[in-house]
Amino acid sequence: MNHDIESGMRSALRPLAPSEEFSQQLLARVAADPQARQKSYGLMPRIARPLAWWLATSLAACLVLAVGVERHLEQQRSQQSGLEARREVLQALRVTSQKLNLAYEAVKSESTSLPDEKPGD
Amino acid sequence: MNDAACDLLDEYLAKARSGERAALASLVRAHQRTVYSLALRMLGTRDLAEDLTQDVFMQLNGNLSAIESNRHLGFWLRQVTTNRAIDQLRRRSRVQLTSLDEEPELFCAEDGADPLLQRHLRALLSDLSPQARAVLLLRYQEDLDPMDIARTLDMPINTVKSHLKRSLETMREKTGGATLRCEDQPT
Repeated sequence: MNHDIESGMRSALRPLAPSEEFSQQLLARVAADPQARQKSYGLMPRIARPLAWWLATSLAACLVLAVGVERHLEQQRSQQSGLEARREVLQALRVTSQKLNLAYEAVKSESTSLPDEKPGD
Repeated sequence: MNDAACDLLDEYLAKARSGERAALASLVRAHQRTVYSLALRMLGTRDLAEDLTQDVFMQLNGNLSAIESNRHLGFWLRQVTTNRAIDQLRRRSRVQLTSLDEEPELFCAEDGADPLLQRHLRALLSDLSPQARAVLLLRYQEDLDPMDIARTLDMPINTVKSHLKRSLETMREKTGGATLRCEDQPT
């Protein structure tokens, strides 16, 4: 019985040709398609394609590396300038502290050298 | 297809790869029936089938360098057409799937097959799942063996055999086993 169904299917599913109009349109469109042949490689010889791929990949890797190194250096520079600023602030605090100490000593020695004032004198 | 025709198409393929438009047109002419018939019977309407046929040949145009021979070209075209059709069917509902009546009516053909039964079989085909339909089309329209169907659809061979068995059983049940031939029909 399956044999009958199979022969029926073969008869029912004979390949069909598209309309002549569609066929002509299709041929015209395919022939006019600018993407025909080796799309992005254009006229580059087949043997050069792996080389082109490696070259493009290497360039991309170099670019990423360069950006990474630049960022790292920039970070180091900003860290360095931060440390420099901290050193300057500490130095300024040290100088201020010394000056204040000197002033304090001067005021203190001046107050001890003055005679005691007696009330009623 | 005989050896001489195959050799000629291999020659066209080589010329098409080197950019000869006339050779590409000959390849399209040689394979358009296969692609269009698969697309029509998978998708069910002539408009969708024509769109898919055009897309497949445009895709071929950009992939000619990857095609090794005319045999490979046939395999590639069947694979791309069925896969794209299955994807389309998955994306949309079953609304348009029963319009295989767009096929021209076949009157008692030379093999004496019943046109009404043929129409009924095609209608039953459109009720199957996209994968099962693709399997039947590759088997009975393209005359591929189960191993080639499995390769084309990237499907285990046992799945192909099971689709074939179940689909044929369903069709046999739904047609009531009737396979009238022209000479059997009342006049």
